[in-house]
Amino acid sequence: MEYLLHILIMIVIYVMLAHSLNLVAGFSNMISLAHAGFYGIGAYTTAILSVNYHFPFLATLPIAMLVSGLLALIVSVIALRTVDDYFIIITLGIQVVIFSLMNNWMDLTNGPLGIPGIPSISILSFEFDDKISFLILSLFLAGILFYILRNITSSPFGRVLKALSEDEIFTQSLGKNVYKAKITSFTIGAMFAAIPGVLYAHYISYIDPTSFTVMESIFILSIVIIGGMRNLWGAIIATAFLIILPEALRFLGMPNNIAANMRQIIYGALLIFVMFRYSKGFIKEKQTVN
Amino acid sequence: MLQIFLNILITFSIFILVSVSFTLIYYTTKFFHLAHAVVITFGAYLTYLFSQQLGLSLWLSIPLSIIGATAIGVISEISVYKPLRKRNSTSLILLIASLGIYVVLQNIISMLWGDDTKSIRTWEVKVGNEIFGAYITDIQIIIIVVSIVLFIATLLFLKYTKIGKNMRAVSSNEELSNIFGINSNYVILWSFGIGSALAAVAGILVAFDTDMTPTMGFNLLLYGVVAMIIGGVGSVRGLIGGALLLATAQHLGAYYIDSKWMDAIAYIILILFLIWKPLGFSGRRLKKVEI
Repeated sequence: MEYLLHILIMIVIYVMLAHSLNLVAGFSNMISLAHAGFYGIGAYTTAILSVNYHFPFLATLPIAMLVSGLLALIVSVIALRTVDDYFIIITLGIQVVIFSLMNNWMDLTNGPLGIPGIPSISILSFEFDDKISFLILSLFLAGILFYILRNITSSPFGRVLKALSEDEIFTQSLGKNVYKAKITSFTIGAMFAAIPGVLYAHYISYIDPTSFTVMESIFILSIVIIGGMRNLWGAIIATAFLIILPEALRFLGMPNNIAANMRQIIYGALLIFVMFRYSKGFIKEKQTVN
Repeated sequence: MLQIFLNILITFSIFILVSVSFTLIYYTTKFFHLAHAVVITFGAYLTYLFSQQLGLSLWLSIPLSIIGATAIGVISEISVYKPLRKRNSTSLILLIASLGIYVVLQNIISMLWGDDTKSIRTWEVKVGNEIFGAYITDIQIIIIVVSIVLFIATLLFLKYTKIGKNMRAVSSNEELSNIFGINSNYVILWSFGIGSALAAVAGILVAFDTDMTPTMGFNLLLYGVVAMIIGGVGSVRGLIGGALLLATAQHLGAYYIDSKWMDAIAYIILILFLIWKPLGFSGRRLKKVEI
């Protein structure tokens, strides 16, 4: 039962990551490989604040989102001077720089040793220290995130994002500020990525830089792409599939480390396979005729 | 000071070899073949397989592993990129597919050989040769010589051979060169072959110098890509400037700050370059938002 709950919590955390990336990659067509970095910033902010300064969860969550969002804002102002392939390479660079900071800034992050002893979440003296209450809390946050994303993407701003992902010049000619919209979307995406980071840090109670590598970024992107760009429900199914799969392989008697590799091999292969389906482009929404 | 200069020269040689191997592929296909990283890694691990596990001599196992790694590059072109190109995929789709290939192959390496560091050095580590107070090992001398010779050979190849000329034609306009009877798929296959072989050489050389891990190729490749972007995308000669600037900045950074920030420095340079000189050294335009 504990084991099942653990898997469910991990699914919820990854669904939140995939949804926040979906706003950036799916709705605004900015494929970013820096998402694990922002996820990590969320985790590290809450870890440092709650272990060293005993901040409560209700304070660390907004601070983590702010830190992540602020960094994303600075970074996107530069990175969004480029598009498509070059944007991916730049975000890859950002990811490596963030990882390098986590791994090497010994005074702040404790480097490769990581930060142990992160307390469990407590809100108004209620401790979320068992798995069921934690699952309910993360489901609640994931639900809010889902609701906000649904609203953003169907708002006028969301329509600007969809328009610019299809044709930037045309959107510009309609008098929309494309550059600003992209920066906003990227920043919001990074802020939302900090939420699962905070949850993850409190849940596992120990973080180190290896949870926030380039591979993790590729994994989150794969969830979004396999689940379908702009498809929030698809991302949930894809996450469940990709998280349960290695566990199923473990049940079939595969050793732990090979099961982990098998999971990556399978999502890598799926990624290639899905690219054949998407070869005409990612946008494949139904045309509605008024 | 001479030691820093030597270190810069060694790093420069590795960067230029990696980035020329990557650029050859980028040159004709115009997309970021990130799975190239795993070709570099395969070069090193196949040498480990042949020389340590199967006990062949180095003179036999190095060519064998270059052939093996080249086959991996060529097979990924034939089985994934070519069919995708046939469907008119954008370079973005190809890039993501290459990420998929990278993930699959890198994990196969992890599964076969484990994640720990492997070494193909059979000799004792020694201090190296002293030149005016600076030290350089034999392997490092070999790295410098081999890289620079291969780089010049590639330049000459592009300039004087038929395939090289065809590559330049495909690079400048694929459709037009098809009209002139150049089979662009065949030319692209060649660039994958030569690029992968050069990458394998780079991987083997680096492995002799600093051993190997399954992720070694990725960092090396990223340096190569950064050098390519700084040097001006698609310009083979611009790579010299890009690799030199990158190597210099890294070693000066390592000397004045700390060697652990070398990765970060590479990307900060890339970002600074994008602000200050978005065209790269050679003045070719990066793909920018055209509004």
